[in-house]
Amino acid sequence: MTIDMTRFYQVFFDEAGEHLATMEDLLLELDVNTPNLETLNAIFRAAHSIKGGAGTFGFHDMAEVTHVLETLLDCLRKQELQPTVEMVDTFLRAGDVLKAQLAAHQDGREYTDTRIAEVCSQLEQLSKLAPSSERGDFYPSTPSLHTPPAHQDAATTAAVSWKIVFRADAIDFQPGADLAALRDVLAELGNVDWLSADDAELCTWRLTTTAGQEAIVETFAFVCDPACLTISVDSATTTQATVTEKNSDSGFGFFAGAPGSAQAFDEEHDGFGLFGGAPGVAQIEALHSATEDADGFGFFAGAPGSESLLDQEHRGFGLFGGAPGMTQIAAVAEQNRVENAQGYGFFEPLSTEPLAPASTAAPVVAPPTQSAAATGRDVAAKRAAHSDTSIRVSVEKVDQLINLVGELVITHAMLAESASGLDPLGHEQIFDGLSNLERNSRDLQQAVMSIRMLPISFVFNRFPRVVRDTAAKLGKQVTLKLVGEDTELDKGLIERLADPLNHLVRNSIDHGIEQPEQRRAAGKSEVGEICLRASHRGGSVVVEVRDDGAGLNREKLLAKAATQGIPLPENPTDKDVWQLIFHAGFSTAEKITDISGRGVGMDVVRRNIEAMNGRIDIDSQAGQGTRITIRLPLTLAILDGLSVRMGDEMFILPLTAIQESIQPRRDQFMTVAGKGRLARVNGEYLPLVVLREVFALNDTTHQRDEDGILVVVDTNEGRAALLVDELVAQHQVVIKSLETNYRKVEGISGATIMGDGRVALILDVDALARLNRRAE
Amino acid sequence: MKDERQDRIVAPSEAAKEYLTFTLGDEEYGIDILKVQEIRGYDAVTRIANAPIFIKGVINMRGVIVPILDMRLKFNLGVVEYNEFTVVIILNVAERVVGIVVDGVSDVIALKRAQIRPAPEFGALMDTAYIDGLTTLDERMVIMVDIEKLITSNEMGLIENTRLEVV
Repeated sequence: MTIDMTRFYQVFFDEAGEHLATMEDLLLELDVNTPNLETLNAIFRAAHSIKGGAGTFGFHDMAEVTHVLETLLDCLRKQELQPTVEMVDTFLRAGDVLKAQLAAHQDGREYTDTRIAEVCSQLEQLSKLAPSSERGDFYPSTPSLHTPPAHQDAATTAAVSWKIVFRADAIDFQPGADLAALRDVLAELGNVDWLSADDAELCTWRLTTTAGQEAIVETFAFVCDPACLTISVDSATTTQATVTEKNSDSGFGFFAGAPGSAQAFDEEHDGFGLFGGAPGVAQIEALHSATEDADGFGFFAGAPGSESLLDQEHRGFGLFGGAPGMTQIAAVAEQNRVENAQGYGFFEPLSTEPLAPASTAAPVVAPPTQSAAATGRDVAAKRAAHSDTSIRVSVEKVDQLINLVGELVITHAMLAESASGLDPLGHEQIFDGLSNLERNSRDLQQAVMSIRMLPISFVFNRFPRVVRDTAAKLGKQVTLKLVGEDTELDKGLIERLADPLNHLVRNSIDHGIEQPEQRRAAGKSEVGEICLRASHRGGSVVVEVRDDGAGLNREKLLAKAATQGIPLPENPTDKDVWQLIFHAGFSTAEKITDISGRGVGMDVVRRNIEAMNGRIDIDSQAGQGTRITIRLPLTLAILDGLSVRMGDEMFILPLTAIQESIQPRRDQFMTVAGKGRLARVNGEYLPLVVLREVFALNDTTHQRDEDGILVVVDTNEGRAALLVDELVAQHQVVIKSLETNYRKVEGISGATIMGDGRVALILDVDALARLNRRAE
Repeated sequence: MKDERQDRIVAPSEAAKEYLTFTLGDEEYGIDILKVQEIRGYDAVTRIANAPIFIKGVINMRGVIVPILDMRLKFNLGVVEYNEFTVVIILNVAERVVGIVVDGVSDVIALKRAQIRPAPEFGALMDTAYIDGLTTLDERMVIMVDIEKLITSNEMGLIENTRLEVV
């Protein structure tokens, strides 16, 4: 039975993705002038883990890139080279290439782009600055004379010496075949040496090949039961790691390490260590005791002396493992090595063959092995505990839950309504039960909603990189400040917030922050600052993008508006002017760059935000900077609203849109040119939106305008007064889409179900204002 | 949608399909019973602004917002008072749930393809494009309607054009 590597792919993808993210974070954190050795080490470790994993799973393109990356990083952490901004840039680019490669592999493709070669050669160029003797090679040169040239050509694949032990009499030869024939077949894979005598009962062969263990097993599978076969990495020629065929099912260990002959130890090369996943740990122990009990049966092939291993230690270690969290083990393992300053023991479970070439190796140093096993177990336990505390659930399931809870809340409201007609005295129990039900279902609703909530840092975390890249491209100096990253909001909103925010931040750098000279001339620090701030305010989340740049230029905007023929009021307020930038095709940038200036951005930003029931505001002060405020509901599924009655129909008005409501007097209503209607509220003339007229409601109880209520709402075209018959109550309503079974209705953003089971439509004030204008 | 229609033509004519028949005024109509989700009484609807007259509004069907159409208004059969016998057939067509108001549900009938005769041209009153054919049941004429085609048609305005293309 061979190991099916594909089932571990996802683990590798997840892990490599995390490592890449860590690497990027650390790189951005890195201060080039005073590099922190810890950070450099951490970056190196991340790169190395990716390399290890990529090599293990056969993603050699990724392993190659990480290898050159690692080489340069190694020079840095050994302080042979001083990090430069150029290096960090190159590292980041390499990270991008790796991400692209990873994404391609995830889709089952291979990423081929000239970028790969570019980045690699750049990294190589940079690392050439270091003393050449210190440069390590990814795969140690294999000095074995037997290695066929073909294997050296395969630069991305390590040739491994495998030791194959089997009983000659277990082989079920076809007529005419013999051991020599078998050897010939194997020779197709690589170079075969016979270590045992030709007529020995127990045959020991050494196969140096680039092919994996699977290929060997397959070859043998033709002639014998793979269980009779023991395949291990030839310990005499490698810093070993072992795989026994019997153990491979249980996830003991996967991979053999680097090849090399005995002489290879004298050379510098990467030491490869091997740790099994969590289940393997127990097996190491079991194996350990088993080998101790069976005297002379098997023994540990040990590490070849502590000294040489410590030397190799500097070159780092490779870590391969299928189980998640291997990096933790790696970290522990590294610590162990340093602390113990001893050789590291690896198990070499040999078969009954007592005189393996490995016997020349020094006996194992058992204690560190055990401690490693013990630590490994701790880590495994910790990991298990961690994985117990969180589960991955598909968003659909959560949404279904949210829907069901919404139904429960509605059902409760319906029950409460039917019970309201009862006499409280005679039905105490019913009323008690109902109030309990209400409390519980509200709590349940809140709990379920919180499942979908994620901290906004999921979006914010990408911006250090965006700011750095954009600023570098424009030759500006910008720092980014993040505030309130823990603010939680709905997952769906988080995903949809990323693009608009990205746009706003890039805009701020491009148009807001000035060049360093200009900033100096204006008496500001040369380094501009962009601040991303998130906070909860009332029932909504407020996200702010603030820069301390030049601010919006009122004259320039007005001139541009004039040339584009955008209508503006006589004496436009600042707010009116700022709103101009949301017009489609409006850009005051002198030249179009690949960052901004095409004028398609801001209107898309606003549309995206509005699609999330959010609003966007601009505040700007010439010379002081610009602040863009995005206000979003906490979730897309629930809305705080006011129910209003118009005729026989009930509507829901989103609370976020309401500014005030007043009882109008007759003289507050007026008309312009006999048809356009206005309402004067606090000395201001507002367009009057009469729901009855906009929606052409033919209600029977036509009441006079002044008996109704004027609700002043904030629309994206300014304030407007909405005339309704009556304000009914404030609700938290579950938003249902009309479009699922019907279509979009203008002026309506959705529907909800009221306590009596009827449907009420949710008003979209922006669209209402538009509709109203058209109706006039 | 298209495939299904082709299937119908290709399918051996012996295979009988079941149809639900309902009345609208004096006429009797039949629709494919597999498109019917449930039958319920008429409830108060919430009107939708600026919708075509035959769209009565939307109702809450166990948490799902379902639009309700009045087939009599759609087929110009005149306005009939809603009474306790007024029935709503909830249809499941083109991945949507839609309710149609009818005067009453009469029967479930099994028909072979051969029993459905092509309908002659009706003139302009009703578009024959949505009519599969006619059949006779106890000397009564039943009009077989391709309900899915009717509901998803542009003139119903139920489905936005963009979405129609996807469907």
